[in-house]
Amino acid sequence: MTTKPNIKSWRDLNIGGVIESGTSEHFKTGGWRSKVPIWQEKNCIQCMNCWAFCPDDAIKVKDGKRAEYDYEFCKGCGICAEECPKTTQAINAIKKEDPNIEIDSWDGAENPKFREKAAILMVSIKEAKEKFGIK
Amino acid sequence: MQKTIVARTGNEAVAEAMRQINPDVCAAYPITPATEIMQIFSTFVADGLVKTNLITAESEHSAMSACVGSAASGARTMTATAAQGLALMHEILYIASGLRLPIVMADVNRALSGPINIHCDHSDTMAERDSGWIQIFSENSQEAYDNLIQAVRIAEHKDVLLPAMVTTDGFIISHGMERLEMYPDEEIQKFIGEYKPAYNLLNVENPITVGSLVLTDYYMEHKRAQHEAMKNSVKVIKDIGKEFGKIFGKEYDMIEKYKIDDADYILICLGSTAGTTKVAVEELRQEGMKVGLVKIRVFRPFPAEDIVNAIKNAKSVAILDRSESLSTQAGPVATEVKAALYDAAINIPIKPYIYGLGGREIYVEQIKNVFKSIKDLKKTEPVSYLGVKE
Repeated sequence: MTTKPNIKSWRDLNIGGVIESGTSEHFKTGGWRSKVPIWQEKNCIQCMNCWAFCPDDAIKVKDGKRAEYDYEFCKGCGICAEECPKTTQAINAIKKEDPNIEIDSWDGAENPKFREKAAILMVSIKEAKEKFGIK
Repeated sequence: MQKTIVARTGNEAVAEAMRQINPDVCAAYPITPATEIMQIFSTFVADGLVKTNLITAESEHSAMSACVGSAASGARTMTATAAQGLALMHEILYIASGLRLPIVMADVNRALSGPINIHCDHSDTMAERDSGWIQIFSENSQEAYDNLIQAVRIAEHKDVLLPAMVTTDGFIISHGMERLEMYPDEEIQKFIGEYKPAYNLLNVENPITVGSLVLTDYYMEHKRAQHEAMKNSVKVIKDIGKEFGKIFGKEYDMIEKYKIDDADYILICLGSTAGTTKVAVEELRQEGMKVGLVKIRVFRPFPAEDIVNAIKNAKSVAILDRSESLSTQAGPVATEVKAALYDAAINIPIKPYIYGLGGREIYVEQIKNVFKSIKDLKKTEPVSYLGVKE
């Protein structure tokens, strides 16, 4: 049995396209990346420059210390590698094969599940959570 | 109601209306012939007559951007500009309407450069006719004052939520001193009511995203919603125009019909030229010619149905455009009136004119000649220039 995707109409949209904050968390955009930054923990002095300068939220912190990249969101801009002190060289932006991650692609407009998720998120995070069990 | 009769220029009348509206925020940049509006209003701010936060921006692009930020934060927001200033706002005008922010702007009509010119024509407003703003034209200072007050209510109405511009003809209205009936401050406040914004960007209890990316999947749906809001605004404009009449004594509609009931020949125009045309109508009627005027007060949304109903029994119609679209067909007013007639399957001979560009004077005698030029009009003619040096 197939259920019809819940595609929102123009009547359902919030005024002015206003959406609840935080929806970008639900779209994995790491697929835009062309360079992959690699962090070498042994060289890291924990200055946290990379964390401060990351324009996304792709550098994770655990117990007050720098942790691994969140490659689902890192777009490979290379700013972290640029800001990493040259004396330590803990980050190198290297073009290489991407870590294997799940990516939501805008090309996925053909993917009904993606279309439905995008549409529902435009109106309500709560509804999207109920439908897709996303956190 | 105690009305105060004063002598005011159009710019003074607009500034007085802004004082009585008492917006939360005004962001503006000076430009002839609109400079005075904010100059006068800034004295009201300095004298503590309004609680407005006045932002003197470094350009019109910045002024409109500040207006968008302010309106998205739930503040009642106004501005004023003209010509090049409006053109510099162009990019942000679409953002204001797309975000459905009920910003109200006084636009003093002035010709767009080049050649550089500071005098009246409607090219600035017409260049923004597809920007999603409601556009209301004024015939004189009184209408500018009345329209600005109504524009606040119209823009903020829950079925509309679109920005609105109220225009006055540069220098002709903006710097011409006229009799103005002003209404008491408290009556204006009562009429416009408290502003209840649709959303508030600064509410930390309920964080929202404003201006997010919408690609192939939903951009079109947002435009469809704006289309509906623009359609809804017709009823709102009419209702508020009637309500305004009940309270303040002068009713407003999408168009004004002047002596058209038995008119064989009708002229369509907008702005201050409507006043000149009324004199021409009176004089020609004394000579026995049955003529009338349809003044378009609201150009966006376009009152197609009202215009068709007003002119359908005329023998012929002249349309005056105070802007060039350089399509080689006709100006924007004539083009849209013709489209409306086609939709209604009515074929009346039309004579479109372009006149008054860059402040070129228009006289009663010229308008009388326009009426005479359509007396034996058998079929629609190509556009011609009125008052040009051949």
